[in-house]
Amino acid sequence: MNALSTIHGIVARDLQRASRQKSRMLGGLARPFIWLLLIGGGYGAITRMDGGSYRAFVFPGVVSMAVLFGGMLTAIATVYDREFGMLRLMLASPAGIGVILAGRTLSAALVGGLQGLAVLACAPLLLDAPAGRYLAALGALSLSALSSGALGLLVASRLRSVENFAGVINVVLFPLFFLSGALYPVSGVPSALRAVARVNPVSYQVDLMRHALGQAPEFGLILDLLALIGSSILALALAGAWFDPERRFLASGRGAQR
Amino acid sequence: MTAPNTIEARGLGRDYGATRALEGLDLSVEAGSLIGILGPNGAGKTTALLMLATLLRPTRGSARVLGCDLVSEASAIRRRLGLVFQDATIDGLLTVEENLRFAGRLAGLDGYGVRHAVDEVIQRIGLGPLRQRRASELSGGWRRLTDIARATLHRPGLLLLDEPTVGLDPEHRERMWSVLDTERRERGVTVLFSTHYMAEAESADRVVLLARGVVVEEGVPADLQRGVGVAVAEFEGPGGAAIEAALVRENLAATSMRTERGWRVGVREPHRVAQLVAEVPGGVTRFLLREATLEDVYFLRTR
Repeated sequence: MNALSTIHGIVARDLQRASRQKSRMLGGLARPFIWLLLIGGGYGAITRMDGGSYRAFVFPGVVSMAVLFGGMLTAIATVYDREFGMLRLMLASPAGIGVILAGRTLSAALVGGLQGLAVLACAPLLLDAPAGRYLAALGALSLSALSSGALGLLVASRLRSVENFAGVINVVLFPLFFLSGALYPVSGVPSALRAVARVNPVSYQVDLMRHALGQAPEFGLILDLLALIGSSILALALAGAWFDPERRFLASGRGAQR
Repeated sequence: MTAPNTIEARGLGRDYGATRALEGLDLSVEAGSLIGILGPNGAGKTTALLMLATLLRPTRGSARVLGCDLVSEASAIRRRLGLVFQDATIDGLLTVEENLRFAGRLAGLDGYGVRHAVDEVIQRIGLGPLRQRRASELSGGWRRLTDIARATLHRPGLLLLDEPTVGLDPEHRERMWSVLDTERRERGVTVLFSTHYMAEAESADRVVLLARGVVVEEGVPADLQRGVGVAVAEFEGPGGAAIEAALVRENLAATSMRTERGWRVGVREPHRVAQLVAEVPGGVTRFLLREATLEDVYFLRTR
């Protein structure tokens, strides 16, 4: 009961914060549509994928992109909480760090999931898929959102300050996205990059979405599910160790020597 | 049968790598008492508070807080602990009420418990008119009072406050202490705070003076002040050294300390001091005879 109440509080707070950061939310919603329009339209003029248009091919990737950016950026915002003391308050709660991370993952997943849902709602305009496919896509979106939240917390646990926040988008988010098979099939890239794509959890998010929407996947469904669940558990376990209050106080210098 | 102490610490110490931040804290705090921790920057005050709050693990020693072991029963301690950090810990994007609801949830209260506790604490601390105001729009004083509301809404048995009045104007400082006083009188909450303001510490039941990670003095403020001397003579000027020597020679000096500009001497017989100052050649540019304060104890023990 205590744990559920704590998770409820964290999720409610994050949703309240998200609802008041309108430009960030609008930016998050607009980003995938801009990509769909510019990348989908631009490459669509020169590229033809097997069995359909490039825009249809790239659509599951753009849904995943909305989920990935929304979820990860919300989770990475934990670094702001650390900078301004709110994380210390959460870590001082009786629920413990595991519950705090579960709450943050869930709230990040909700924000990412809602942004992905806005893109997915446009699927009937681009894809000719039966209703059951959309239900499957909702499931894929939910798991991808949780995975993105967990990855975001892992990144946040290693960030020292909010100044690194912008760099994370260029150094972490874009490489994860570009090497995920969202924009082009990974099977066609050089072997070194293909190896990186295979250990990239986002590859399995995109692939799961392709399974759900009836497109040709690169991996098996079971592998996608296992990879996403396994990488999320690993990310949360590492984040839990790195978010240890002991490390945090020493890292920030606050508390020590005063 | 007497109530068990809220805090019982024995040799509680903490190292940061090779740096010894807190040597070994022995502390017994009676339920419902007000305890001040004093000391210069780097003395180990925050380290002590963070350890007692279960946020830092001790390197050595042991403690029982609210009847629970500091290390093995940290979660049980946190349930009954109110914590106020040096900077107000409230979310500027949320309203006062939303911040308090969040704190209630973190404390593990259920929906009804949160609603009840938030209404009660808003009324108790007088935050009603600010209830729907964003925290970022509040003044520093009201942010701190919201922070106190956050820390007390779940009715803790122990409040730990780390320099809670830094940056507050006198009005809000007074209001904050009034709230804490009510917590103690009406609920029997034990309050342990660190501060740089000596006047605040003088109202504590007991003070603990830390310097370089070691407890250098502990006791009731009035007793500690008496230990400095019956009164304190402050003087500056060319004859200062001779006056200080004369006070020591005449056995009038209970304590003596060189300050940046002169001397501060705790004296046993104040009525004889003025006469002695007048007799010693060289003269003084400033002379003051006053009651001993906790600040005198602080300077005497931490230098």
